[in-house]
Amino acid sequence: MTLVAGVDIGNSTTEACAAEIGADGEVRYLSQALGRTSGVKGTTENVVGVLGVLRQALAAAGASPADLSLVLVNEATPVISGLAMETITETIITESTMIGHNPRTPGGIGLGVGTVVRLADLPGRAPGQPVICVIDETIDFEDAAAAINAATARGVEVTGAVVQADDATLIANRLDRPIPIVDEVTLVRKVPLGMLAAVEVAEHGRTIRTLANSYGIATVFGLDAEQTRMIAPVARALVGNRSAVVVRTPAGDITDRRIPAGRLTLLGEQASRSVDVDAGAAEIMATARRVAPLADAAGEPGTHVGGMLSRVRDGMSDLTGTPLAEIRIRDVLAVDTFVPQRVTGGLAGEFALENAVALAAMVRTSKGPMELLAEGLREALGVAVRIGGVEAEMAVLGALTTPGTGRPVAILDLGGGSTDAAVATAEGDVVSVHLAGAGDLVTKLIDAELGLDNLELAEEIKKFPLAKAESFFHLRLEDGTVRFFDTPLPADTFARVVVLTDGGPQPIPSRHGMDRIRQVRREAKRKVFVVNAVRALEQVVPGGNLRGIDFVVVLGGSALDFEIPNLIADSLAEYGVVCGTGNVRGTQGPRNAVATGLVANHARTARGGTGDPEAESCPASR
Amino acid sequence: MNATTTGKRVLELTERGVAAPGVRADEIVIGLSPAFGDFFTKTIVDIPLAEVLREVLAGVEEQGVRARVVRFRHSADLAVIAHRAAALSGSGIAVGILSRGTTMIHQKDLVRLSNLELFPQAPLMDTDTFRKVGRNAAQYAKGESPQPVPSRNDYMARPRWQAKAALLHIKETEFIRAGAEPVELDVRIRAAQAE
Repeated sequence: MTLVAGVDIGNSTTEACAAEIGADGEVRYLSQALGRTSGVKGTTENVVGVLGVLRQALAAAGASPADLSLVLVNEATPVISGLAMETITETIITESTMIGHNPRTPGGIGLGVGTVVRLADLPGRAPGQPVICVIDETIDFEDAAAAINAATARGVEVTGAVVQADDATLIANRLDRPIPIVDEVTLVRKVPLGMLAAVEVAEHGRTIRTLANSYGIATVFGLDAEQTRMIAPVARALVGNRSAVVVRTPAGDITDRRIPAGRLTLLGEQASRSVDVDAGAAEIMATARRVAPLADAAGEPGTHVGGMLSRVRDGMSDLTGTPLAEIRIRDVLAVDTFVPQRVTGGLAGEFALENAVALAAMVRTSKGPMELLAEGLREALGVAVRIGGVEAEMAVLGALTTPGTGRPVAILDLGGGSTDAAVATAEGDVVSVHLAGAGDLVTKLIDAELGLDNLELAEEIKKFPLAKAESFFHLRLEDGTVRFFDTPLPADTFARVVVLTDGGPQPIPSRHGMDRIRQVRREAKRKVFVVNAVRALEQVVPGGNLRGIDFVVVLGGSALDFEIPNLIADSLAEYGVVCGTGNVRGTQGPRNAVATGLVANHARTARGGTGDPEAESCPASR
Repeated sequence: MNATTTGKRVLELTERGVAAPGVRADEIVIGLSPAFGDFFTKTIVDIPLAEVLREVLAGVEEQGVRARVVRFRHSADLAVIAHRAAALSGSGIAVGILSRGTTMIHQKDLVRLSNLELFPQAPLMDTDTFRKVGRNAAQYAKGESPQPVPSRNDYMARPRWQAKAALLHIKETEFIRAGAEPVELDVRIRAAQAE
């Protein structure tokens, strides 16, 4: 009877398990523990973290470090990953052609067309010609309404108004004849005077129809075919708004400019190709597939992509202490995303969703000083320490302790920085791959697409479901059901969309509704994990055919997520694969696979390497 | 009825009897302190109370929500006024305003000493802030998620204004009538030159 411990040092967590191995090689698992990894994995800095986790595990088993006969440590995979994001389009409005910021409370309903005049100039207008009135914030809403009423009484037809303050409803409520009014136009002084303009406000819950339609604008302004072609981007930019203003200026335009993002050169082991980053993620990934396996990647110097890759390299170099020239990018994952950006030339602080590309890059590091780490542990514990087994193989052994699995099996290890996959054939051969892009990239996508600028909050949104605090005593959950409370919710959550974290509901300070946040969250997970799961399995499965495997076991920290395993299982279902979250030893869920695999492997080799690991840990399944 | 003339607008508050709890979900209640628009005509920094009430009402109206104005005579404590006002509000949301300008947005289910938004430094309250208070209160009533009105803080406000604030508070407490019921008010704000 000997007491051994398996220790798995990961990028972010260190896991351990303690087990007794009988004389016949039978394994009895006693306990497990997990904690944060101290320092970069594979270095001597890990010793502190490993000791902490080991003590926890041993204490849970009622043993002390002195009782141990052997500590097994995994051969840490020498890969780490970094990420960067860059917008590749921008919207520019020239000559103040349009206002499309969608204020929450526009006034009146309908469409008004006329010449743009200042409110102060209304008394001087001759009757007969329709006008659109511009009102700055120094004018009180009562005075503005009175001036418009006076002008209308004189026969000057005021057909619409553009207001700087949040006054549209207030003015509209005081008019004898209702007109459409758009408010909260911060740079109202820049609206060109004397030009023909149109103001449109739709009913509650509807969107504008005339100004969001190119031919509608052409009808209003009497445009010819060529001019209509020019105005088409304006109409497109206004789709979905409840209110808008379009001014007809001589050369006014709105352009959707693509920022030259630069070329990404992917150097494969056999061939190399380059691809324009603004071609989008699909094109980049197709190119990566053509040159696979990737040896390195380079960005065109002086462009966005050049900057992105050098940021990744700098970060990796700092982290690992490897010279910059020796950093090799072994995998990239490109993801299309949208980032809200302020529109250049906008009069009301308009935001447009601009296209962006996020890149995750995987860097292979030189092998860490594992021997030094083992020596450090040996000194601290006074126990034999053995570096055993390739991480992927150990993970497969651990995964096979999940009830209901069998060879050939594939594992997907979803971590924070990388997505790893390994396949074990019926003969026992193990092939593994490490891909860029995992939990951290999802967090970054959520942060950028919602415009949060708060990675901690984005992390919470990723990990927990949403709800809306409809009163102090009930939450509307994201599946539509309601949960009641006996004690009032915290005051800062009232009327807000909240994340249901372990520490209670946390408010999300944004204008986004619950549905929108949920959609962004699921889409980010799909774009990273589902894409990577298929990509990883294609690379490890013999012949690249996913139908060749029967079982896929999902492991790792992100496998604990409440929806990622289901998203992956859904997408793999079409290949006829049994896919699910692992349940290591039937009790540990997706955790502790490598640590368990280390012990199982040790027991098998100690017995002469003839046994099957499944028999040791799951006798009941036989 | 009492009419107060300050600056260019006149505030007329007409009493309409004991205020009853509201039933409309689209209303908020604005709770006034005992001497608001009565003995006091302006805030601690001389903003006419006619302007204060007009801006809060405008902020509410812009959101398409209705407001009832109620005077509380039984207390000059802002939390008491705002919380009682919230209990009378059909939406459960209320704004409480003291004569010197201190303001609070309250909700009926909260404990009295809590609040949705509090503006404790009366000297920093300007007309724009009062408009935003009305706007946010109305948005809470609609079930929207307003960004809290930026709360300003001035370290000098306390030493500079504390003595005056104390005097104003003592004066306001002189108008307290123990056990008095809240009174519904009709509000008219008109231009002074019309007289």
